[in-house]
Amino acid sequence: MKVVEINDVCKTYHDTEVEVKAVDGVTLSFEKGDFAVIVGPSGSGKTTLLNLIGGLDHPTAGEIIVAGHRLSELKPSQLIDFRMEHVGFVFQSYNLIPVLTAAENVEFIMNLQRWPKEKRKARTDEMLQSVGLSDRHKSRPSQLSGGQQQRVAVARALAPRPEFILADEPTANLDTKSAETLLDIMEKLNREEQMTFIFSTHDVRVMKRARRVITLEDGKVVSDIRTNHNS
Amino acid sequence: MKDYQLAWKNLWRNRKRTLITAASVFFAVFLALIMRSFQLGTYQKLYSDVIESYSGYLQLQSSEFLDEPGLDNGFVVDESMIARLEADPEVTAVIPRLESFALTASGSRTQGVMVIGMDPEKEHDGLNMRNRMVKYKLTPGAVASLKTEVLPERSARLLDLLINESYTNEEKMLLDLGLSPGDSSAFMPLLRKHASFENSYLSSSDTASAIIGSGLSEYLQAGVGDTLVLMGQGFHGTSAAGLFVVKGIVSLPTPDIDNVFVYLPIEAARWFYAAPGMATSAIINIRNREDKVLFKTQERLNEAVGEELKVRNWRELNALLLNQMEADNKSGAIMLGILYLVIAFGVFGTVLMMLAERRREFGMLVSIGMQKHRLAKVVSLEMLMIGLLGVLAGVAASLPLVFYGNDRPLRFRGEMAKMYEDYGFEAVMPMLQPDSYYLWQVVIVLLIIAVAVAFSVRKILKLNIINALRA
Ligand SMILES: Nc1ncnc2c1ncn2[C@@H]1O[C@H](COP(=O)(O)OP(=O)(O)OP(=O)(O)O)[C@@H](O)[C@H]1O
Ligand SMILES: [Mg+2]
Repeated sequence: MKVVEINDVCKTYHDTEVEVKAVDGVTLSFEKGDFAVIVGPSGSGKTTLLNLIGGLDHPTAGEIIVAGHRLSELKPSQLIDFRMEHVGFVFQSYNLIPVLTAAENVEFIMNLQRWPKEKRKARTDEMLQSVGLSDRHKSRPSQLSGGQQQRVAVARALAPRPEFILADEPTANLDTKSAETLLDIMEKLNREEQMTFIFSTHDVRVMKRARRVITLEDGKVVSDIRTNHNS
Repeated sequence: MKDYQLAWKNLWRNRKRTLITAASVFFAVFLALIMRSFQLGTYQKLYSDVIESYSGYLQLQSSEFLDEPGLDNGFVVDESMIARLEADPEVTAVIPRLESFALTASGSRTQGVMVIGMDPEKEHDGLNMRNRMVKYKLTPGAVASLKTEVLPERSARLLDLLINESYTNEEKMLLDLGLSPGDSSAFMPLLRKHASFENSYLSSSDTASAIIGSGLSEYLQAGVGDTLVLMGQGFHGTSAAGLFVVKGIVSLPTPDIDNVFVYLPIEAARWFYAAPGMATSAIINIRNREDKVLFKTQERLNEAVGEELKVRNWRELNALLLNQMEADNKSGAIMLGILYLVIAFGVFGTVLMMLAERRREFGMLVSIGMQKHRLAKVVSLEMLMIGLLGVLAGVAASLPLVFYGNDRPLRFRGEMAKMYEDYGFEAVMPMLQPDSYYLWQVVIVLLIIAVAVAFSVRKILKLNIINALRA
């Protein structure tokens, strides 16, 4: 089943004197259960592509269809609701709301979705357990390590069961060990919850763990390789 | 989690900044309230002093008198008309008065004075002349003999500052001497013994007696029993002259009045000015002195007095004073404006800092699905909470001070007092009890916060997520 369809999408920035084609004619699709990584040199358009898929930004040309929604047809506020309902985000850093505890952060989107309290609590416990932080319910982000913070972010993104997770360089700020742990968790959740992950990275070790590696260069897809290894 | 809970938590993310902002709001509200309370309290005291000691709330005059005061614009008292006015349910008494200027001399000093011919039995409400008669006076002699007695050291020192001060009641004298009402039984006998002041009130049948203000008494160096020469111009240009013995001395709240007023029984004044049966005005005592009721009463009475006469209210009677206060009020408003401007800049600085600092977080929140209007609501709540915190604290802190300052007005001494008195004001600054001005200060501060809120809301609604995330 296709979760994301990208048809000949371009994104051009005119901010500076020169015109920058950040994404240049990309056609791609992602299936349910994908564990895909987007790689490429700095400036190749990874972040831009992820932002387009997540409905954070509009393509200059082309069409993106996510979970049956044509993103170009959604009004700004509908786009926000769309993200709340269908997309889980994990950013490189500053993912969490600093004044809330780990548990409250995980609950946050379910809260926006008006889950009943009982279900919310149960799911939060389950997710914090999955990411190995069941003893850190009440910790504030500032009391957690960078790796732990990213794990809370993954838990928050997954908790409301979105269509897929977008993660822009989720391990970039982590040491090797924390990065490995985070990937283990993502892989496990991919397996157990059939959660689709689309993430970008610079990190070769991360690349090796993916089952699909998409390489961008100058905003173009230069390779799209499926490996069938299971770690 | 409810929006207000999130807002409350956000308040404490930067405790110092929140407290500094709340504190600046607090100080603005506090200072503004104290300033305003002093200012309005002083006006109110001034008004009520002038109304009580001179103008009254309503006065009957000939219609020309307001523009051209003087004996020649007096009127002949028509008892039946007075009875008609007194029949009004709001009116308790109508008391004719004959007033004009005169020159007075006692010993080698002369002074222009205002002669008030009044009814000693029925002087207007509030004035209560009997209560204002000087009962104690700390003459140099009295101070010297008091110093031979056993007094607390502080009181003995204060005595030197209080030479020639006169008092109409015991409490005020004790207070001035640094004594509490509880010391009354111990020290009042001494004060009575050395500082009592012999004084008596006028009676309607007195033909050659006067009561004078304490300031005038001091200036003329004329005490009880001394004779005043009064000279002036009587009705229709006749010349007026007479000798009057000072029977009593009153202490009047406004120095302008205290320094120049000579009270005679009205019949004595009519004789002196050769104006039999006449009055220049009549004080109308009323039950309800609130402006709203008073103006209605005035309207009603005006219908009953005919063409020649007019009932004037205290605002018309004291237009000059009101103008002065209006001008003073404006300068006060400018001060307040500056204070609020400073606070507005402070609040705005905080808001700008907060918005810049949280831009990334805002981007993240909108990315993961928080609607911008909801985020704006949370941020607005935060600011409202800070504002209310400051406002409530400011109001709370000002209350005890304002009530105290209302109960025990600030009283100046020495140079400061002299300056006040030279301007014709009593050297007292009472504070006005909490009133609508409290509401206004709160409204103004909330408006400042509302502008800051509107600014933040706009910023959030226009937030560009991509740029915010890259920040
Ligand atoms: N908001 C923007 N305005 C103007 N130019 C932009 C903007 N965002 C990205 N670009 C440009 O688009 C191109 C692609 O940027 P993008 O951030 O997508 O690259 P990236 O692959 O994520 O790089 P990195 O690995 O450094 O994160 C770059 O040349 C960048 O300068
Ligand atoms: Mg990037």
